[in-house]
Amino acid sequence: MYEEPYRWVEAIGNRRRYLDEQFRQGSPVIALSYADGLLLLTAGRGTPKLYEIYDRIGLGGMGHPADLEKLRFGLLEMAHMEGFNRSPSDVTGARLVKYGLAPLIKQAFEEIFKAPHIVKMLLAELGPKAERDTFLTVNYDGTFEEWSGCAAVAATLDVQKAMVDVVTRSVSHMTAPFQEALRIALHAWSLGSFLQQKDHETPEGTPTGAAQADGHAPPLPDDLALTAHLREVLTGKTIECAVLERQAPGSSKYRTIKPDELRDLLPDGLKG
Amino acid sequence: MGMQGDFFQLLKEQGYQFPAPSHVPEGSRADITRGTTILAMRYRDGVLVAGDRRATAGNMVMYDRTDKVLEIDRHSVMAIAGVPATAYEMVRILEHSFKYYRRTQLQELSFEGKLRAVSKLLKDNVAAALAGTGAVAPIFAGYDHDQATAKIYFYDILGAEFEGVEYAVSGSGSPTIRGILHYVNTWGGQPLNRLSEEEATVQALRLLTSAAEFDSATGGVNRETGLYPIMKLIKASGVQVLAEAQLRSLFDSQVTRHV
Repeated sequence: MYEEPYRWVEAIGNRRRYLDEQFRQGSPVIALSYADGLLLLTAGRGTPKLYEIYDRIGLGGMGHPADLEKLRFGLLEMAHMEGFNRSPSDVTGARLVKYGLAPLIKQAFEEIFKAPHIVKMLLAELGPKAERDTFLTVNYDGTFEEWSGCAAVAATLDVQKAMVDVVTRSVSHMTAPFQEALRIALHAWSLGSFLQQKDHETPEGTPTGAAQADGHAPPLPDDLALTAHLREVLTGKTIECAVLERQAPGSSKYRTIKPDELRDLLPDGLKG
Repeated sequence: MGMQGDFFQLLKEQGYQFPAPSHVPEGSRADITRGTTILAMRYRDGVLVAGDRRATAGNMVMYDRTDKVLEIDRHSVMAIAGVPATAYEMVRILEHSFKYYRRTQLQELSFEGKLRAVSKLLKDNVAAALAGTGAVAPIFAGYDHDQATAKIYFYDILGAEFEGVEYAVSGSGSPTIRGILHYVNTWGGQPLNRLSEEEATVQALRLLTSAAEFDSATGGVNRETGLYPIMKLIKASGVQVLAEAQLRSLFDSQVTRHV
């Protein structure tokens, strides 16, 4: 029944609606450059969502844990074989995404008799200098985008944009020390989570969240509202943070920030 | 499931072979490059691993700036004696397999797991070792987080694993310094594991200088060209490389005899 073009387009549309629904309650991921490297941040209920892929590459993901694991293993295999057969400096985020991850996700998305991968992924790659840090985001249909400075994945592209905008507006994140960068990332994450929640609460079919019918973005919540939201959300979730540090000794630059260390650095109202 | 984090398995699936199958015609294996003297010893804060810089092929000095003490990850090093071509490849495999394990399984490979990986590579290499083209007798030293101590292991070319409780040596210059180590550790005033970092470094410099005195395949210190042994320390905080300036100052003040 899918041999007619119209049916196929309809099936793909259904699939998009199904997948969009899957991410509505997911936790967004934000990544940004700061003075000493890169930072990735999200919040979750136990299952980690931030991972080390290679010496200078970190991964953040949202979606189904089993799909995420499968694709993460694919990335690890590709990165390590490439690093072993050629050289660690030949392993780049762009190559992993363009020739590995994205085609795989797209294929699964379009094979309408099989299950798609329920994932959105963000690869952060530490460059030799802050200006050469790169970020790549991959959507559930295999489309990918390259970013510099910062990037985010969230339930909708509008929320993603709002998160990136708020980081970009903070001007100084590229030269900020870790604690300041953490504050900026946390702010962006709460904004993403807040907007997603609003979208979720609005009845289906009405224009929602960041994109109103008249094309104007709604006013963003103020800091107070965001802090209240964050405090509420974090009763059931824990913040997860990882960094890629330019000056770290040895070849592996990835480090997970331990809960104790993170607690000391969080703004006062969130130390728990 | 294929999700066990086994890099050896992954290499095999991708068609990589270690070691390369070796069939060496008789009489064609005379002058293979070899690396020589390496040593590891416990001192107060951990383990010191050192190696001279010379690689020889028969009577020829192939290279005088070889690094035979190679970091595998932040907490372990392998010092190599034998055929560098094989040894470097082993180090490359180990380095990637420890990383791959950590990143896939989200935990560090245990110290025993790391030892096992070294043994496995040496066992896979037996044919090449016996053919004379790929014999490697390494020392592996690393920090065991479970037992909160740095440890030394040494291997024969067939992959048998031995723990060097106080020290271990390998390579053509090793018979000379093995005797000295035994003497110093037993009657030297204080056992090696009580030496400070500086005292241990001086001992290692003297030992490698003695090896170079009696073994033509071991390279000595050359102060004019700034050629010093490679020395690395393994402590709880990780591997630390001793800087050339530090070795030079200790060598000048405590190793050279000013007659």
